Amino acid sequence: MSAQMKLGAFLWATGHHIAAWRHPKAHARAGIDIDHYIQLARTAEAAKFDMIFCEDAAGLREANVDIASQTSRSIGFEPISLLSALAVHTNHIGLVSTASTSYNEPYGLARTFLSLDHLSGGRAGWNLVTSASQIEAANFGATGLKPHADRYERAREFAEVVTGLWQGKASGHDGQSFSVRDPLDLPRSPQGAPVMVQAGASDVGRDLAARTADVVFTAAQTFEEATAFYDDLKGRMAAYGREPDEIKIMPGVSPVVAETEAEAREKFEELQELIPDEVGVALLSSYLSISDLWRHPIDGPLPELPESEGMKSRQALVVEQSRRDGLSIRQIARHFAGARGHWRIVGTAAQVADELQARFEGGAADGFNVMPSYFPGELDAFATLVVPELQRRGLFRKAYEGTTLRDHLGLRRPS
Amino acid sequence: MHLAVSLDIASAPGQAGLTFGEIAAFVRKTETARIDMVVISDSSPDGERSTSPFEATTLVAALATVTEKVGLVANASTIAHQPYNLARRFASLDIISHGRAGWSATMTQAPHEAANFSCPDGFSDDDFRRRAQEYIGIVQGLWRGWDADALLFDKSGGRFHDPEKMHLLDHKGEFFSVRGPLNVARSPQDTPVLALSGLSEADFDIAARTADVILFDERPAEESRARHDDFKRRVSACGRKPDAVKVLTDLSLTTDRINGLADRLEEAFHSKNCDGFNILMPAQPSVFDDFADRVLPDLRRRGLFREDYRGTTLRSHLGLTGGGDR
Repeated sequence: MSAQMKLGAFLWATGHHIAAWRHPKAHARAGIDIDHYIQLARTAEAAKFDMIFCEDAAGLREANVDIASQTSRSIGFEPISLLSALAVHTNHIGLVSTASTSYNEPYGLARTFLSLDHLSGGRAGWNLVTSASQIEAANFGATGLKPHADRYERAREFAEVVTGLWQGKASGHDGQSFSVRDPLDLPRSPQGAPVMVQAGASDVGRDLAARTADVVFTAAQTFEEATAFYDDLKGRMAAYGREPDEIKIMPGVSPVVAETEAEAREKFEELQELIPDEVGVALLSSYLSISDLWRHPIDGPLPELPESEGMKSRQALVVEQSRRDGLSIRQIARHFAGARGHWRIVGTAAQVADELQARFEGGAADGFNVMPSYFPGELDAFATLVVPELQRRGLFRKAYEGTTLRDHLGLRRPS
Repeated sequence: MHLAVSLDIASAPGQAGLTFGEIAAFVRKTETARIDMVVISDSSPDGERSTSPFEATTLVAALATVTEKVGLVANASTIAHQPYNLARRFASLDIISHGRAGWSATMTQAPHEAANFSCPDGFSDDDFRRRAQEYIGIVQGLWRGWDADALLFDKSGGRFHDPEKMHLLDHKGEFFSVRGPLNVARSPQDTPVLALSGLSEADFDIAARTADVILFDERPAEESRARHDDFKRRVSACGRKPDAVKVLTDLSLTTDRINGLADRLEEAFHSKNCDGFNILMPAQPSVFDDFADRVLPDLRRRGLFREDYRGTTLRSHLGLTGGGDR
């Protein structure tokens, strides 16, 4: 455990709440307004966040066009160009983007992230994903989603090639999925190498993370789930000759914070009421990788589900939650729509800080990836209410200690 | 006439590459000079290693937020990117720049580039050409996936966009299959500008159908005119107005070529060899000052180059309407 927690500002569309864009104080035009993002980045930097994080998919999020048209998630900036623009309007904050190992080549990806790293003076990070969506697959000539294990084998080789290129490896690579002739034609990274982030939580995903990641994002609802994941992942690192603190584990947290608990609850309910049932059920269907959830009675329980080739770990999370609480499809759809399967805290700054502190000090997290419900309002609320409370408790920095993302995260520079 | 500046950001081996601040200062100078667009090169690792720290599309994204008017065109290879990813990157650049972005693609395969992208043997010239043609069609098709008025932002009605105004591409071709649509909104200038270079004659018809700008190398006057006429005839044959594609001829700028340059440019422009010039800048860009101070005022006095930008988008600088042939 580190002395102080790490914090990521997870920027996504108009907000993490599925109905965020409909909120009167949300900026519905976020996906076409670069100035909005520059402002968010400056807010996060003023609050001393370690990094901004942009999740990504190379395709629509929702196949049903009517459902998609009721959310703000079908359009937005491509994250590498977005972060490159933000790089020259910020000075300290880390800039992390998702990119897929299934639909890129390692040479191009390594080169692009290294360029972002140079533009930002050593603040770039890459979140490796293998992409679990059929919608994305159809944009890349694939006849179908590759099996989970195959995607991870490709990802392992991909990560190895990228790491080698960043570390200035001179000789070529000729492997199962990739061949690369030359070293990169860019100078070495200002932070040694861009930071490697991962989020896959399946067994094979955890092994890949234990071997290659600097940061792991995860979804954990309960303290027990969080500590189990934390201990398991850190326990796997020794096999790869790594120390536990070489990976920072940062679960997602979806806070709704206000001056009083009543106000916070009111704010959350206001958002929940904006979710159309149709949209809630569709979102849940995509988490569960089944297309006909809507056929089941909305006030009845979740049906038994076959194991899918999609997001295995997230599916397990949803099913477990549903059984534990005896929830109906509508209830669980709303519940998950609100926080996308991540941990939600509704309350005052002190209450939110209490919960974060308990998990941080209890060995469940090295920090948190903060997922504001809507932008800019809820990022502002976290920055002005929760961050000062964490700083008062000595749990979060008051000033940046260094200039690179590795400095902020307390990670060593790769040789 | 139209004027572009191509900036080669890769420095000679052993020399320090330009910093972002130096590149940004140079691009602002071209903006002050009211140049149509700056084309940022992207090196391919062949032979000597460059020392630029930047890849072109990421650099253009950063430049877009520190400039206001000048067009920003990034070189990006059809080998290094999947078409969906490239279309997305440039659509995003176009929104970041408020309609000033362009994609510069070369129709010549860089030696050994494919060997870094898991294709050790590269492509035959013919395969490369057919692949590039298909690739360009996909990219331009994806750029048109959302109608300009598709986004509604109707908070109370719960309608973010109009699903009727979002279109699948459903492309299935020899080299690619891409369903679409793009997950980036329509460009503020309809579509990003497509500039093609490295054309052999076999590429002329592809270029005539798809390009907004052609960058031709420098040739003797007669040859240049014949090539220009041939190319514009093919543009007409595709059902496009000859003026819908701007032909710019490369111009190597060195200090000793500044004297009498305005005369030579006027002559080339008036004998209809081209619609303008693409000034090739080495990585040390100070020679542009001589051009801006000594040649541009002369061109303006002769009524050959604009005093100011007439619009805010790259298409407006180039006198182009919507993109491509559809």
